[in-house]
Amino acid sequence: MTEEKKPEEKKKRKTATEAAAKIGPMVKAMIADVLQARKEGKPIAYTFICCCYDEIVRAMDIVPAWTENYAGICGAKRDAQRFLERAESEGFSRSLCTYALCGLGFDAWREQLGEMPPDAPWGGQARPDVMLGSGQILCDPRNKWYQAAQHYIPDVPVYAVGLPWPPYESDYDYREVQDYYVKYIVEELRGLVAFLERHTGRKMDWDRLSELVDLTDRTWNLIWETYELRRAIPSPMGTGDAMNTMVPIVFMMATQQAYDFFKELNEELRHKIANKEGEVPDEKYRLMWGGGLPAWFALNDFNYFNSKGAVFPVETTYRTVEAVYNFDIDLSKISDPLEHIAWRWVKFWTYWYDKARKRPGSHPDVERLIQYIEDYKIDGIVMHEAFSCRTWHVGLIWQLNRLKKIYRDIPSLILESDIVDISSYNEADTRARIDAFIDTLEAVKSKGK
Amino acid sequence: MVEKGAGKGLAAAERYYQDYGCRAGELKRQGKRIMGYLCAFTPVEIIAAAGFMPLRIKGDVNEPITKADAEMETIVCPLVRSCFDVSLKGKYEFLDGIVIPHACDSITRTYDIWKYTLNFPYSHLINMPHATDKPSLDFYKAELNTFRRSLGRFAGREISDQSLTQAIRLHNQNRAKVRELYELRKMNPPLISGAEVTRLLVAAVSIPVTEATELINNVVEEVKQRGKVRAAKPARLMVVGGQVDNIDFIELIEDSGAWVVADDLCPGAREFFSDVADTPDPVDGIAERYLRKICCSRTFRERRGSYHEYLEQRFGHIGRSIRDFKVDGVVLYIYKYCDPYGFDVPAMKSYIESKGIPVLYLEDEYSMSTIGRLRTRIQAFLELLGSK
Ligand code: SF4
Ligand code: SF4
Repeated sequence: MTEEKKPEEKKKRKTATEAAAKIGPMVKAMIADVLQARKEGKPIAYTFICCCYDEIVRAMDIVPAWTENYAGICGAKRDAQRFLERAESEGFSRSLCTYALCGLGFDAWREQLGEMPPDAPWGGQARPDVMLGSGQILCDPRNKWYQAAQHYIPDVPVYAVGLPWPPYESDYDYREVQDYYVKYIVEELRGLVAFLERHTGRKMDWDRLSELVDLTDRTWNLIWETYELRRAIPSPMGTGDAMNTMVPIVFMMATQQAYDFFKELNEELRHKIANKEGEVPDEKYRLMWGGGLPAWFALNDFNYFNSKGAVFPVETTYRTVEAVYNFDIDLSKISDPLEHIAWRWVKFWTYWYDKARKRPGSHPDVERLIQYIEDYKIDGIVMHEAFSCRTWHVGLIWQLNRLKKIYRDIPSLILESDIVDISSYNEADTRARIDAFIDTLEAVKSKGK
Repeated sequence: MVEKGAGKGLAAAERYYQDYGCRAGELKRQGKRIMGYLCAFTPVEIIAAAGFMPLRIKGDVNEPITKADAEMETIVCPLVRSCFDVSLKGKYEFLDGIVIPHACDSITRTYDIWKYTLNFPYSHLINMPHATDKPSLDFYKAELNTFRRSLGRFAGREISDQSLTQAIRLHNQNRAKVRELYELRKMNPPLISGAEVTRLLVAAVSIPVTEATELINNVVEEVKQRGKVRAAKPARLMVVGGQVDNIDFIELIEDSGAWVVADDLCPGAREFFSDVADTPDPVDGIAERYLRKICCSRTFRERRGSYHEYLEQRFGHIGRSIRDFKVDGVVLYIYKYCDPYGFDVPAMKSYIESKGIPVLYLEDEYSMSTIGRLRTRIQAFLELLGSK
């Protein structure tokens, strides 16, 4: 049964780390900053995560308003349905990305009223000056959402940055094509800088950009190293917490704050490991969150797993960084910051290609699962299929099938609901499926004994 | 060759439509190589120039999806799921490979599933950008050249400029023939019904291009003989949407008392109204057509001018068809989970309505059972048109 609780009544999820517990206030402050910027007349950009432009936006002192974040907040506060319904009444199908629907419903409403919709979560989402979409190889909403938003804010210009990466193919190596990918991305980013200068009146500070690019590299390395600490047995931090610590990764990249946050988390994890302090007192099953964005309104399900002795030392979701020193090029040798960003992007997306090529029948996404299974000593895989997002939720079944074919049979569970739309969620069903999965894990375990 | 004698026009189209892919299977048995592809964004000229017959993969609204779900999530556009389901059931097992363009999430995100599950000897994803600016065009051209090299390797010979130019010419002729066919829809009543057009065009993407041109030509000649004997129906409709490769929905409209006289569909006006220009490097013309000339919601058009002008930029082709085909009402027929079109619905609707043309927006799931449920809404729409 769906819990019909008012946002205020919803219990706060208990985090394993102190660092994760600090995220709530950080996000709240971030939303407040955008509202304050609006008051002060500072330029605001609607932005998406994983679009390569973090350093650019920061170096130009433009305030990012992360629209996926705001929709996620509405979802987590269980206060998204009215915005989804609003979007539906505008003619948008309820089958579309519910971040986008929530955002569009909100925008339509705000524009109609000329002020924030009543009781808008955390003060609301401010009207932007520009919107920065992107064209990648995934996520149509990244170029459709802001275009659709223009229907309500027609005076706000959109720029869609082309950000492709080479597909994994059997008959050629991505290195054969990487140069023209990088060249294209650099041109697109240059176009973005020109667009921002034109529409916000801000000038690019190229020295600052270089500094931020370097800071981002260092932050990537630090995040990677921090997350690798979770290999420890017992594991000191789980995916439930990582759904908090994703905030500095995707919404605060290229800021000192993000770096400092991970410095602290790193120390906290080391401390916990030294004291053998795990995510749960008695760790029984080590699980991987192998794909899918979380149901933001049901993060308590992670605690439910914990209550059964199951922990999540690793996840693929929001682990959108690698250690840049593991790439096959030395990024620090690239003097043009835009080129640096472009190479980092291409190397990130192709990171698992070489490994996959070595195992017959493998694929980078599957190879990554295998590596994590081994590194983090994983007993089972949990995924979440959010119905409204094809980007991250198509290919999950196939990946599991492949994994079983080329590697080994490992217990797996695919939960089904959504990121924002709570009407897709059934707590009793979900928990029953978790219980059954735990039984399977137990059976496999005792067989192995 | 299309058989001579009785049934070389509409009847032949009916045969190819009913037994979709039969001609490709037959040619395969004679040693011809066949390359399957999804979506109007696959540059068929390159495939043809490499010596393959391109075969558009089609779904089937009458076939329940029973096998696909074991590999592919149900949150994929139902058209793509159906295409995959019938492929899994062996409908296209004679294919030498499959080419998939970066069209939309449903198509692109399933590439690996197609590739690994069906295990064709060849597969390729063309990473088409969304934007149409100069850097995007240059990038796309580089991608097309990567595809050209890759397919050339598989074919065992390089794809020459000459063979590309020849393929471009043949496909342009084919498109010109389709435009001639569409002229017959401008009359009142139209000389050819919407269901007949869709059936013919679906048939046409399942046979070699020269045969398709001949087939369409035969149909043009055949229906011209009809004269004005067809019954007048009160409304002339246009259907706008993604890939509609079954006639059932169009038939439903026409059975309800309207003619479908225009479309922005695949196969349909979307892919037959623009040609590849003759350029010194043939790949330039191909890149320009697929990235900039095909009007589809998957492509991001950079805005020039006011928002009003932007709508004209994005949907002007629909406006022109409304005018040229004397359309009384437009049906937006969009599949569930279709992100490119789904996000365009409010803007498209307001653009069309600003021309004084009523719009009916229908979301469907690409199956006979759901199509049937749309009947009453279509009837209500026709009543509304009648009362205007
Ligand atoms: S990745 Fe998924 S959830 Fe995020 S914007 Fe794209 S479609 Fe929406
Ligand atoms: S109908 Fe829409 S989602 Fe389906 S293949 Fe076409 S563009 Fe993609």
